[in-house]
Parts: sequence; structure tokens; C-alpha cells
Amino acid sequence: MIIQKIFNVDDYYYDVFMAISESLTGFSVNELQSTGLAETYYTHILHQIESVTFTEFLNISKDILENSTTQNQLNNAISSDILANPATQDIANSIITLWYLGTWEGAYINDLSYKEGLVWNLMQAHPPGAKQPGFKSWGVKPVNSNS
Amino acid sequence: MNQKEKPQQKKDVIIVGTGIAGSLIAKLLTDHVFDTEKGKMIHRSEMNDSKTYKELSILMYEAGLEAGIELDSATSMTTYNDYIRKFYMEEAKVPNSPYPNLKQAPSPNVLDMEPIIPPFPDKKGYLVQFGPMPFASDAIRVGGGTTLHWLGTTPRMLPNDFRLKEKYGRAMDWPIDYETLKPYYEMAEFEIGVSGNVSAQEYPIQENMEEYYGKDYVFPMDEIPQSYMDQQIINGLAGTSVQLNFKNIPLTMVPSPQGRNSTPNIAYGKAKLIKANSSESGYKLSLNNIENEDYKALGAVWNPYMGERCEGNASCVPICPVQAKYNALKTLKKALYKVNKNENLQRNPHIQIQAQSVVYRLSVDQANQEKISKVHIRRYTSREKTDFVEEEIDTTNSVVILAANAFENPKILLNSKYTVIENGQKVEKTVANRSDQVGRNLMDHMVMLTWGLFPEPVYSYRGPGSTTNISSFRDGDFRSEFSAWISPLDNWGWSWPAFSPGSDLSEFLGQGLFGEELKEALTYRLSRQVLFHFEIEQLPNPNNRVTINDQYLDALGIPRPVINYELNEYEMRAMEQAKLASDQMFARLNIEDFTKYNATDNNTFVYNNVRYSYNGAGHIVGTHRMGDTPDDSVTNSYCKSWDHPNLYIVGAGNMTTLGTSNPTLTLSAFTIRSVESILKDLETILK
Ligand SMILES: Cc1cc2nc3c(=O)[nH]c(=O)nc-3n(C[C@H](O)[C@H](O)[C@H](O)COP(=O)(O)OP(=O)(O)OC[C@H]3O[C@@H](n4cnc5c(N)ncnc54)[C@H](O)[C@@H]3O)c2cc1C
Ligand code: SF4
Repeated sequence: MIIQKIFNVDDYYYDVFMAISESLTGFSVNELQSTGLAETYYTHILHQIESVTFTEFLNISKDILENSTTQNQLNNAISSDILANPATQDIANSIITLWYLGTWEGAYINDLSYKEGLVWNLMQAHPPGAKQPGFKSWGVKPVNSNS
Repeated sequence: MNQKEKPQQKKDVIIVGTGIAGSLIAKLLTDHVFDTEKGKMIHRSEMNDSKTYKELSILMYEAGLEAGIELDSATSMTTYNDYIRKFYMEEAKVPNSPYPNLKQAPSPNVLDMEPIIPPFPDKKGYLVQFGPMPFASDAIRVGGGTTLHWLGTTPRMLPNDFRLKEKYGRAMDWPIDYETLKPYYEMAEFEIGVSGNVSAQEYPIQENMEEYYGKDYVFPMDEIPQSYMDQQIINGLAGTSVQLNFKNIPLTMVPSPQGRNSTPNIAYGKAKLIKANSSESGYKLSLNNIENEDYKALGAVWNPYMGERCEGNASCVPICPVQAKYNALKTLKKALYKVNKNENLQRNPHIQIQAQSVVYRLSVDQANQEKISKVHIRRYTSREKTDFVEEEIDTTNSVVILAANAFENPKILLNSKYTVIENGQKVEKTVANRSDQVGRNLMDHMVMLTWGLFPEPVYSYRGPGSTTNISSFRDGDFRSEFSAWISPLDNWGWSWPAFSPGSDLSEFLGQGLFGEELKEALTYRLSRQVLFHFEIEQLPNPNNRVTINDQYLDALGIPRPVINYELNEYEMRAMEQAKLASDQMFARLNIEDFTKYNATDNNTFVYNNVRYSYNGAGHIVGTHRMGDTPDDSVTNSYCKSWDHPNLYIVGAGNMTTLGTSNPTLTLSAFTIRSVESILKDLETILK
């Protein structure tokens, strides 16, 4: 799979972080970027876990990303090489939680990370107290629901 | 070092607490002045140039921080935005999460609650809980009080709720009936700005809606739209009924009246004012039209154009970011700012609020022990430090109003002892406690939750916390056997019972899901979550009580509320019946039941071999009840203490019984009514 070069950031590992985040979360790099928090999350993790551990996680990610030609292959590799090992599984789950809820070990990174939790997009809702949809909106099906 | 200050100058009225009860009184009193010629209290709108008037001097004490009650636009916006930012950042978004957690004026917090293993109390947090069950509700000590984080649901009580003894042989009747309170309900609905549709209300009562609400009555604002989820549930349940142990009960799903802004109802017409008219027997309040002004929704305290309508922020508890939801700061601001002759808002110099001031004791006059002669305060100097200044205010010629909520009012009273000589013997007494009911009869709605997955997406997590309730079980013959209840439908998925969506995410991560599969599992789960609520009436029980004990003091050396609390068979049986109703409704709607009650839950019991768990509703009531006689109640129906003619005790603590309504509209109605009696007392003082 392609590890996209992310515009303006000169850190190869950052690109890997975004590429593996895409596969872990199921949201495209573009959608992840549009939270406005991608770099913040990346640097936050760098400060939270030992850099060798994080780099090792990213090296494993890089390997499987480079060696998978289909999404199926990549998913299998994530299951066997990342999620089957408690150490990398923990990091992967923390990264997913960070994107979905905006928290790292139970704490929000900042108020934007609360507002941009992707879990709210999945349920066609919005984080309580932010991004309000407007009067009466709750009385009808969400406009962007495909069902 | 704790210093002592010289006593404050006398005031006509002292109000303790700036919650809805205290703010309503402050607002209504400052709307009136004393006409020295007539020797009567009159409304400001009736003042003319040629006469002389005396303004009432009012002092309010507030335990919370100074910043919380600075209501000029710039400061109030800054303070409120700080609350919102704190809310965003708190992981556990419980009711108290946005607000300052003060060591000098701590608040009861649901996060402190834990199961109790008698005889050892739970001492974590502010309340000391002796149990056997922990009392499960909280309140907040900030300017504006607990309406800052209330949900805003505002049904009236039903006529039979006031006469449980007469009708069903249970508990005690109120000293007033529904008919008497009706005009004050209208005033409270005006003041809170209730949205709703009178003609859509449906209750299991003998009275028809025209008798219940009055002919042509409408709420100030149009109904808040019911959620999409509500409509799916209503579609599935409409026209059906539920079989309880002994009776079949038809289901009625009613859009809830709410204290949040929608669109002003054209039929409500003009803006209103609440005005006292004097007569031989005293004062009577009435709601009057202001002819040249249309009714408008009241927006944020700092900007009237913000929050004129509910925007669906879906965070009503614990904080409405735009103040579309009513909170008591709106009423408090009307007490502090009055329109002058040029129609400009002007700070009223005769009312003052002293923040960071914790009232902890009243004392009585040595010469006339019926009189409350002093209010004692500990004023802390900063948020950081716990040293305080000891203060007192002389109240021999003032009216004292305790409006500090149903934990604090009894706590202050129980801490106010005095000695009298009876038959040559020294007897120790407690202020306002001739009936021995101060602190007793603590009640709450026990909230039993049931939750499950709807067969199709209902898109929960949107809109105000609750927009519909099932009113079928609010009254009926069964009340002689077990409690009535009301069932709100909740628009926030399983966030309350299961901490969704976080818990769903960690469950699926635990199963090894990621990527598309994780997305699908979460989408399926989160868009179908429904939550039913059963708010079960608790009866007054003298052993459910707030006491104090000098072993348990807070950081300022003031006694903490010590709670004893349990439920009885009448209530347990209601929970059994409510679960029966829930099971039938779930089956009819094909809801997959995920409800789980665990032995490790904070409030849990086994009844007829089945486990039930419940939460608190935030409805802290009963601890200084009103009644017909001084023997079995603390105040009369005007919230005036039987024992002390210059003491009023107001708030949900006055409620004789609880019924199935959220309490705030009702407490507002009888608090407004108490102003009639307060005005009469003031007339005597000012003459
Ligand atoms: C989560 C939650 C949801 C709720 N939802 C609803 C609802 O939907 N509908 C409804 O009807 N009700 C609801 N309620 C209940 C409602 O909030 C209360 O009934 C109401 O706010 C009580 O008003 P009050 O003025 O009596 O007391 P409070 O609002 O508690 O005000 C008391 C005031 O006194 C001050 N004070 C306290 N102690 C002292 C002291 N010692 N000295 C000086 N000042 C002091 C406090 O700081 C505060 O300003 C809810 C409550 C909670 C907790
Ligand atoms: S839904 Fe939002 S805007 Fe409406 S009252 Fe609740 S918090 Fe305020």
C-alpha cells in the first residue's frame, strides 16, 4: 500500500503514522487530516511513549504497509503482526481511541480533540455541547444518513 | 488566622442562596417598592413622580465564587465560557463537571458515591453517607445554583399528588391543592419560559385538560420538536397498553413541557409581569400583560441574541453552551438590573450579592426567641485558601430567607441551636424544628434505567436530553399499593447507564476489531441505542434524613450533611412493576434488551428474587416540608417557618410529597406564592 507523502511535514514516520491510522480507524487520511489534529496527535504520542517503542511500532507498520498489495493482505498483517502482540496492540488501540474519542489514557488532548472525536460522525450525531446542528434537526433523520 | 469583621448594616431582606428559589424571590421583591404614603408595597410599574417610595434593601449570600455572580455582559460571558471549556476537557461528563469544585463550599457529586457497607459510612466527597443505600443525587454550589446543570423538564404536578393521604391512604396531604397553585404555575411557566403544547398533554386524571390547565391556556413557547427516536418509539407503541400485575394500562406518549427556548407562541401574546395587588387580607400576585410589548424568548445572560432558540447542542445536563435552556442566572439578572425611566437597564443599587460567603448558622433573639436575630457567615477570601472571615448580620428587623437547597437548608437549621427556659428548666432547641421534621423525609425519584438496541437506526444522541415522556403511570388506584412513576425517553443513547460511546469502543477493540469492521460495529450499535427511564415516586419516610454531626466538618469547620437513606417495599414493588412494563414495551418494539443490574452497582437490591438497580434524579426534596400544623411540618403553605415569624425556608425541601413531576416548576410556583406573605411582613416592618 502507498504511504502518502503528507504535504508540509518532513517526517517520514509521520506519513507512516497517518497511513497506519487510516487502516486502523477505517477513516481515510483525508478525513483524519480534516480533524485538524493529526500533527497534534502524532507529537502527543511521541511525548507520551518512549520514542524507541513508538518508532518500533511505526517500523512494523511501515513493513506491513509496504509489503501488502491489497487491503485484505494489509488487514491480515495488522491482525497478525500488530494486534497479536500485546505491546503493539496496546499502541494500536490507543491510536484508534485517540482518533475516535480524542482521549489518550482517558484524558482529552485539548478541547478540539473532544469536538473532533470521529465516533460522533459514525452515529450521525455530534459531540454534546459542540458543533450543534440547529433547531429541530433532531426531529428528522440526519441529513447525511444513507439508510 | 480567621478574623472577625464588624457586623454588616441592617437590611430589609436577607436571602441565602442564588438558585432558582432565591433568585425568584429576589426578582419579585425588587420589582416592588414601599409606597410610604399608602403604607403599602406596590409594583414598580405603578410608581409616579409625585409620591415618595422606599426601595427594599436586599442582601443575598452565595457560597460559590464571586466570578459566578458577576452578571455584567463581559464578565458573565468569560466565566461561563470557562465552564464550557472545563466541560469539554473533563473525561467524566457528570452534572458537576463544568463547574468549579470548591474546597470551601464543596458540592455533593455523583462521582463520590460508592456502595456502603454498614455500619461504616461513605465519607468520600461532601456528603457523609450512612446508608444503607447511598443517596444518589447531586447539586451544585455556584451562582445560579443547580438549574445551571438541570435538564429543564417542567411538568406540573397532578391534582392527586397533593392528596395522597385522602385518595390512597398514603403519606401526608399538602396544605394547598392543585387549584390553589394553578395561577402560580402559570407565573412559574412564564418566568422559566416553558415550551410545550397544552393540547398534546395527556394524563391519567379525572379532570379534563381544560380544567387542569384552564380554558385557552397556552405555554409561552411552542413545543420543542420530539426527537426522531421518540417518533419511532411512539409509532411502535401508540394505541397499545401494558399489563401490570393487576391492571391493564394504556400507553400515552406526551411531548414534555420544557424550560428551553423554542419559538414564542403567538397565542401567548404579550410580555408579562408579575404584580402584587394589596387587599384587606394581604397581597395577591397576578400575571399581567404588558400591552405594548410582545413576549420574547430570553437568551444568554450576556447576549440576548444568543440562545433565543435551542440549537440541539445535546448537552443540557451539564451545560447549555448558548443558555437556550433556562437557568436561574436569568432571573437573578432581572433582580439586579431594572429598566429605568428612559428604558435603559440599570444596576439596582439596593440589592447586593455577597459571594464566597457560606452561611452556617442562625441565632435567635435573647429577648424574643421567636425572632431570628442573626445570620452567621464564613467568607473565604480566595479560591486557593481556606482561611475565612467570620461575619454576622443583624436580622432583628429583617426577613430572613433560606434558599440554599434541600441539603443545605436543613443543615443550617440543625446547626442553629438555642436555649430556652421552660418551667424553670434549661431546654435546648433547634431553630424551626418544633415538629422534629427538619432534615427528615428526604426524597428523590429513583431512576431505574432500561436500555437496548432498536431494530433500525433511531439516531439517538441528538437533541435536548429528553423530549417525550410516557405519562400513563403517573396516577391510578395502584398508588395505594406501590409508587407511581413517569417514564421519560432519553435522547442520549446509553451514555448514562453504560458510558457509551466509550464503552462500546473499548468492547469492540477488546474483540480485536479495527478499520471498516470496527466502523460498522460501532455504527450499528450507536445509531440504535435507546434508553427508557422510570422515575419512581418516593414517599416521605422520617428515617430518610439529613443530620449533622460534629465529627464530620468541611474545610471551613462547618458540619457536612450526614445522610441516612433507604427505600421501602412500596417503592421496590413499583420498580418490579416498572420493569414489567419495560419488558412488554421492549418486546412490542423488538428492542434487544441490554439492561444489566449488577451486585456491584451503587444502589441495588433484590426483590422477589430479582435484582434491580437505580440512580438518582437530582430531585432532592422534602427536608423542610410544608403542612397544615406546626406539629408535623416545618413551614406553612407560604414557606414561612411555624416557629419564627421572620424566617422563610424555600426550595424543593418544602415539598410534602414528591409525585411524579420533576420538582423545579412546582417549587418555583410555591416559592412565587410565598412572596405574598413576605410582602405583607415587609409592609409591617417598613411602616
Ligand atoms: C442532574 C440534574 C438534573 C435535574 N433536572 C431537572 C429537571 O429536568 N427538571 C426539574 O424540575 N428539576 C431538575 N433538577 C432539580 C433542580 O435542579 C433543583 O430542583 C433546583 O435547581 C433546586 O433549586 P434551589 O434554588 O432550591 O436550589 P439550588 O439550585 O441548589 O440553589 C441553592 C443555592 O444556594 C447556594 N448555597 C448553598 N449552600 C449555601 C450556604 N451554606 N450559604 C450560602 N449559599 C449557599 C448555592 O450555591 C446555590 O446558589 C435536576 C437536578 C440535577 C442534579
Ligand atoms: S439541546 Fe443544546 S441548545 Fe438546546 S437546551 Fe440543550 S444544550 Fe441548550
